[in-house]
Amino acid sequence: MSYSILIVDDSLPMRSVIKRTLKAAGYGKSEMLEATNGQEAIDIMKNSWVDIVITDYNMPVMNGLAFIKTIKSAELSKDIPVVVISTAGNESKIKEFMDCGATGYITKPFSAEEIRDLLVNILGEVNYEDDVDDGNQDFDF
Amino acid sequence: MKTMLMTAIKISISEVMETMFFLPVEFGRELALAQSRIDKYNFACQLTFTGDSSGYLIIMAPKNLVAEMAENFMGEAKGLLTDEHLSGTLMEMLNMVCGNALSKTNSQVPFELGIPEMINASEVSENEVFTIVETTESKMAIALKVA
Repeated sequence: MSYSILIVDDSLPMRSVIKRTLKAAGYGKSEMLEATNGQEAIDIMKNSWVDIVITDYNMPVMNGLAFIKTIKSAELSKDIPVVVISTAGNESKIKEFMDCGATGYITKPFSAEEIRDLLVNILGEVNYEDDVDDGNQDFDF
Repeated sequence: MKTMLMTAIKISISEVMETMFFLPVEFGRELALAQSRIDKYNFACQLTFTGDSSGYLIIMAPKNLVAEMAENFMGEAKGLLTDEHLSGTLMEMLNMVCGNALSKTNSQVPFELGIPEMINASEVSENEVFTIVETTESKMAIALKVA
Protein backbone atom coordinates (compact mmCIF):
# COMPACT_ATOMS: atom_id res chain seq x y z
CA MET A 1 0.00 0.00 0.00
CA SER A 2 1.26 3.48 -0.78
CA TYR A 3 0.69 6.63 1.22
CA SER A 4 0.87 10.36 0.82
CA ILE A 5 3.65 11.52 3.14
CA LEU A 6 4.26 15.24 3.80
CA ILE A 7 7.85 16.08 4.79
CA VAL A 8 8.25 19.49 6.46
CA ASP A 9 11.82 20.70 6.94
CA ASP A 10 13.60 23.89 5.92
CA SER A 11 16.76 21.93 5.07
CA LEU A 12 16.89 20.69 1.46
CA PRO A 13 19.53 18.02 2.28
CA MET A 14 17.49 16.78 5.26
CA ARG A 15 14.35 16.45 3.12
CA SER A 16 16.39 14.41 0.63
CA VAL A 17 17.76 12.21 3.42
CA ILE A 18 14.28 11.63 4.88
CA LYS A 19 12.89 10.71 1.43
CA ARG A 20 15.76 8.31 0.86
CA THR A 21 15.33 6.82 4.32
CA LEU A 22 11.60 6.32 3.67
CA LYS A 23 12.42 4.48 0.43
CA ALA A 24 14.90 2.28 2.28
CA ALA A 25 12.27 1.68 4.96
CA GLY A 26 9.79 0.34 2.42
CA TYR A 27 7.76 3.43 1.50
CA GLY A 28 9.27 3.88 -1.97
CA LYS A 29 5.91 3.81 -3.76
CA SER A 30 4.40 6.48 -1.54
CA GLU A 31 3.81 10.02 -2.76
CA MET A 32 6.20 12.38 -0.98
CA LEU A 33 5.15 16.01 -0.66
CA GLU A 34 7.59 18.64 0.63
CA ALA A 35 7.29 21.91 2.53
CA THR A 36 9.98 24.17 3.99
CA ASN A 37 7.98 25.39 7.02
CA GLY A 38 4.68 24.91 8.84
CA GLN A 39 2.78 27.56 6.90
CA GLU A 40 3.81 26.08 3.56
CA ALA A 41 2.74 22.65 4.84
CA ILE A 42 -0.69 23.98 5.84
CA ASP A 43 -1.11 25.45 2.35
CA ILE A 44 -0.28 22.05 0.82
CA MET A 45 -2.69 20.27 3.16
CA LYS A 46 -5.52 22.56 2.03
CA ASN A 47 -5.22 21.15 -1.49
CA SER A 48 -3.77 17.63 -1.09
CA TRP A 49 -4.68 14.52 0.84
CA VAL A 50 -1.99 13.62 3.39
CA ASP A 51 -1.83 10.31 5.30
CA ILE A 52 1.02 11.26 7.61
CA VAL A 53 3.20 14.29 8.33
CA ILE A 54 6.90 14.16 9.19
CA THR A 55 8.06 17.52 10.51
CA ASP A 56 11.11 19.26 11.89
CA TYR A 57 10.75 21.61 14.87
CA ASN A 58 13.19 24.41 14.23
CA MET A 59 12.02 26.20 11.06
CA PRO A 60 11.52 29.83 10.00
CA VAL A 61 8.05 31.38 9.38
CA MET A 62 6.18 28.71 11.38
CA ASN A 63 7.99 26.17 13.55
CA GLY A 64 6.96 22.56 14.09
CA LEU A 65 5.17 23.17 17.37
CA ALA A 66 2.95 25.97 16.01
CA PHE A 67 2.30 23.84 12.92
CA ILE A 68 1.15 20.84 14.99
CA LYS A 69 -1.08 23.04 17.15
CA THR A 70 -2.67 24.51 14.02
CA ILE A 71 -3.44 21.21 12.28
CA LYS A 72 -4.59 19.52 15.49
CA SER A 73 -7.08 22.32 16.08
CA ALA A 74 -8.66 21.95 12.63
CA GLU A 75 -11.47 19.42 12.17
CA LEU A 76 -10.23 18.16 8.79
CA SER A 77 -6.62 17.56 9.85
CA LYS A 78 -6.82 16.76 13.58
CA ASP A 79 -6.61 13.00 13.04
CA ILE A 80 -3.62 13.01 10.68
CA PRO A 81 -0.64 11.42 12.48
CA VAL A 82 2.40 13.67 12.94
CA VAL A 83 5.95 12.45 13.50
CA VAL A 84 8.54 14.97 14.70
CA ILE A 85 12.16 14.53 13.61
CA SER A 86 14.30 17.04 15.43
CA THR A 87 17.57 17.73 17.21
CA ALA A 88 15.66 19.24 20.15
CA GLY A 89 15.80 15.99 22.08
CA ASN A 90 15.34 17.08 25.70
CA GLU A 91 12.47 15.43 27.59
CA SER A 92 10.48 18.60 28.22
CA LYS A 93 10.47 19.45 24.52
CA ILE A 94 9.40 15.92 23.55
CA LYS A 95 6.59 16.09 26.15
CA GLU A 96 5.50 19.43 24.71
CA PHE A 97 5.22 17.88 21.23
CA MET A 98 3.31 14.86 22.48
CA ASP A 99 0.96 17.03 24.57
CA CYS A 100 0.17 19.02 21.43
CA GLY A 101 -0.83 15.87 19.58
CA ALA A 102 2.34 14.52 17.95
CA THR A 103 2.11 10.77 17.35
CA GLY A 104 5.84 10.05 17.60
CA TYR A 105 9.25 11.61 17.97
CA ILE A 106 12.63 10.75 16.45
CA THR A 107 15.84 12.49 17.45
CA LYS A 108 18.54 13.35 14.89
CA PRO A 109 20.80 11.58 14.10
CA PHE A 110 18.38 8.77 13.25
CA SER A 111 18.43 5.40 11.51
CA ALA A 112 16.19 4.02 8.75
CA GLU A 113 15.04 1.36 11.23
CA GLU A 114 13.76 3.97 13.68
CA ILE A 115 11.66 5.61 10.97
CA ARG A 116 10.42 2.28 9.61
CA ASP A 117 9.44 0.96 13.05
CA LEU A 118 7.55 4.14 13.95
CA LEU A 119 5.74 4.41 10.60
CA VAL A 120 4.81 0.71 10.59
CA ASN A 121 3.43 1.20 14.09
CA ILE A 122 1.32 4.14 12.89
CA LEU A 123 0.36 3.12 9.34
CA GLY A 124 0.66 -0.65 9.45
CA GLU A 125 3.01 -3.04 7.64
CA VAL A 126 4.32 -2.16 4.20
CA ASN A 127 4.72 -4.71 1.42
CA TYR A 128 8.49 -4.73 1.16
CA GLU A 129 8.57 -6.72 -2.10
CA ASP A 130 6.51 -4.01 -3.76
CA ASP A 131 7.88 -0.94 -2.06
CA VAL A 132 11.59 -1.32 -1.40
CA ASP A 133 13.72 0.68 -3.80
CA ASP A 134 16.26 -1.80 -5.16
CA GLY A 135 18.85 0.88 -5.78
CA ASN A 136 19.82 1.81 -2.26
CA GLN A 137 18.75 -0.88 0.15
CA ASP A 138 21.99 -0.72 2.09
CA PHE A 139 21.37 2.90 3.05
CA ASP A 140 21.62 3.30 6.79
CA PHE A 141 23.19 5.71 9.24
CA MET B 1 30.31 25.75 31.85
CA LYS B 2 32.09 26.44 28.58
CA THR B 3 34.52 23.56 29.13
CA MET B 4 31.67 21.13 29.87
CA LEU B 5 29.76 22.31 26.81
CA MET B 6 32.83 22.07 24.58
CA THR B 7 33.38 18.48 25.76
CA ALA B 8 29.76 17.66 24.85
CA ILE B 9 30.21 19.38 21.49
CA LYS B 10 33.30 17.31 20.69
CA ILE B 11 31.43 14.08 21.53
CA SER B 12 28.51 15.22 19.36
CA ILE B 13 30.77 16.15 16.44
CA SER B 14 32.26 12.64 16.56
CA GLU B 15 28.81 11.02 16.71
CA VAL B 16 27.21 13.15 14.00
CA MET B 17 30.19 13.05 11.62
CA GLU B 18 30.45 9.28 11.91
CA THR B 19 26.73 8.36 11.87
CA MET B 20 25.41 10.87 9.34
CA PHE B 21 28.47 11.70 7.21
CA PHE B 22 30.58 8.51 7.55
CA LEU B 23 33.67 10.58 8.38
CA PRO B 24 35.57 9.75 11.57
CA VAL B 25 37.25 12.80 13.11
CA GLU B 26 40.08 13.70 15.47
CA PHE B 27 40.47 16.94 17.34
CA GLY B 28 43.51 19.16 16.95
CA ARG B 29 44.74 22.32 18.62
CA GLU B 30 42.84 25.41 19.57
CA LEU B 31 43.87 28.40 17.48
CA ALA B 32 42.78 31.99 17.13
CA LEU B 33 41.53 32.78 13.65
CA ALA B 34 44.44 35.16 13.11
CA GLN B 35 46.97 32.40 13.93
CA SER B 36 45.56 29.87 11.53
CA ARG B 37 44.66 29.42 7.91
CA ILE B 38 41.04 28.81 8.80
CA ASP B 39 40.05 32.14 7.27
CA LYS B 40 40.84 30.61 3.88
CA TYR B 41 37.93 28.20 4.34
CA ASN B 42 35.09 29.34 2.15
CA PHE B 43 32.09 27.89 3.99
CA ALA B 44 31.17 29.37 7.37
CA CYS B 45 27.99 28.84 9.34
CA GLN B 46 26.69 30.17 12.67
CA LEU B 47 24.00 28.98 15.07
CA THR B 48 22.83 30.70 18.25
CA PHE B 49 21.41 28.90 21.27
CA THR B 50 19.76 29.82 24.56
CA GLY B 51 19.19 27.86 27.75
CA ASP B 52 21.26 27.31 30.90
CA SER B 53 23.97 28.99 28.91
CA SER B 54 23.50 31.07 25.80
CA GLY B 55 25.87 31.76 22.97
CA TYR B 56 26.72 30.64 19.48
CA LEU B 57 28.68 28.09 17.50
CA ILE B 58 30.58 28.86 14.30
CA ILE B 59 31.85 26.19 11.94
CA MET B 60 34.21 26.87 9.05
CA ALA B 61 35.10 24.30 6.42
CA PRO B 62 36.66 24.14 2.94
CA LYS B 63 34.38 23.45 -0.03
CA ASN B 64 35.93 20.04 -0.79
CA LEU B 65 35.12 18.75 2.70
CA VAL B 66 31.56 20.15 2.65
CA ALA B 67 31.05 18.49 -0.76
CA GLU B 68 32.27 15.16 0.63
CA MET B 69 29.93 15.52 3.62
CA ALA B 70 26.97 16.35 1.34
CA GLU B 71 27.77 13.42 -0.96
CA ASN B 72 27.86 11.00 1.97
CA PHE B 73 24.83 12.54 3.69
CA MET B 74 22.51 12.62 0.70
CA GLY B 75 23.93 9.73 -1.33
CA GLU B 76 24.21 11.96 -4.39
CA ALA B 77 27.23 12.30 -6.67
CA LYS B 78 29.26 15.47 -6.06
CA GLY B 79 28.58 16.65 -9.60
CA LEU B 80 24.85 16.83 -8.90
CA LEU B 81 25.19 18.93 -5.77
CA THR B 82 24.48 22.66 -5.85
CA ASP B 83 25.73 25.34 -3.46
CA GLU B 84 22.31 25.12 -1.76
CA HIS B 85 22.95 21.43 -1.05
CA LEU B 86 26.41 22.23 0.31
CA SER B 87 25.41 25.12 2.56
CA GLY B 88 22.30 23.17 3.66
CA THR B 89 24.46 20.22 4.63
CA LEU B 90 26.80 22.37 6.73
CA MET B 91 23.86 24.11 8.43
CA GLU B 92 22.20 20.77 9.18
CA MET B 93 25.44 19.37 10.56
CA LEU B 94 25.82 22.36 12.91
CA ASN B 95 22.16 22.06 13.92
CA MET B 96 22.55 18.37 14.79
CA VAL B 97 25.81 18.92 16.66
CA CYS B 98 24.44 21.80 18.73
CA GLY B 99 21.13 20.09 19.56
CA ASN B 100 22.83 16.79 20.34
CA ALA B 101 25.45 18.47 22.56
CA LEU B 102 22.93 20.56 24.51
CA SER B 103 20.83 17.40 25.06
CA LYS B 104 23.82 15.86 26.83
CA THR B 105 24.21 18.68 29.36
CA ASN B 106 21.12 17.92 31.50
CA SER B 107 20.28 21.60 31.55
CA GLN B 108 17.68 22.92 33.99
CA VAL B 109 16.33 25.40 31.46
CA PRO B 110 15.08 23.82 28.20
CA PHE B 111 17.40 24.98 25.42
CA GLU B 112 16.29 26.59 22.18
CA LEU B 113 18.26 26.68 18.95
CA GLY B 114 18.18 29.53 16.48
CA ILE B 115 18.06 29.00 12.72
CA PRO B 116 21.53 28.15 11.31
CA GLU B 117 22.79 30.78 8.89
CA MET B 118 25.66 30.97 6.45
CA ILE B 119 28.01 33.86 7.24
CA ASN B 120 30.87 35.49 5.40
CA ALA B 121 34.14 34.05 6.71
CA SER B 122 35.69 37.52 6.55
CA GLU B 123 33.16 38.75 9.13
CA VAL B 124 34.46 36.38 11.83
CA SER B 125 36.56 38.14 14.48
CA GLU B 126 40.30 37.46 14.28
CA ASN B 127 40.27 36.84 18.04
CA GLU B 128 37.71 34.03 17.79
CA VAL B 129 39.29 30.78 19.05
CA PHE B 130 38.66 27.70 16.91
CA THR B 131 39.19 24.01 17.65
CA ILE B 132 40.55 22.16 14.64
CA VAL B 133 38.55 19.07 13.62
CA GLU B 134 40.49 16.73 11.35
CA THR B 135 39.00 14.18 8.98
CA THR B 136 41.17 11.68 7.11
CA GLU B 137 41.85 14.06 4.23
CA SER B 138 40.73 17.49 5.32
CA LYS B 139 40.11 19.85 8.24
CA MET B 140 37.38 22.09 9.53
CA ALA B 141 37.19 24.32 12.58
CA ILE B 142 34.58 25.06 15.22
CA ALA B 143 34.30 27.92 17.70
CA LEU B 144 32.07 28.15 20.77
CA LYS B 145 31.18 31.46 22.36
CA VAL B 146 29.23 31.44 25.63
CA ALA B 147 27.77 34.74 26.83
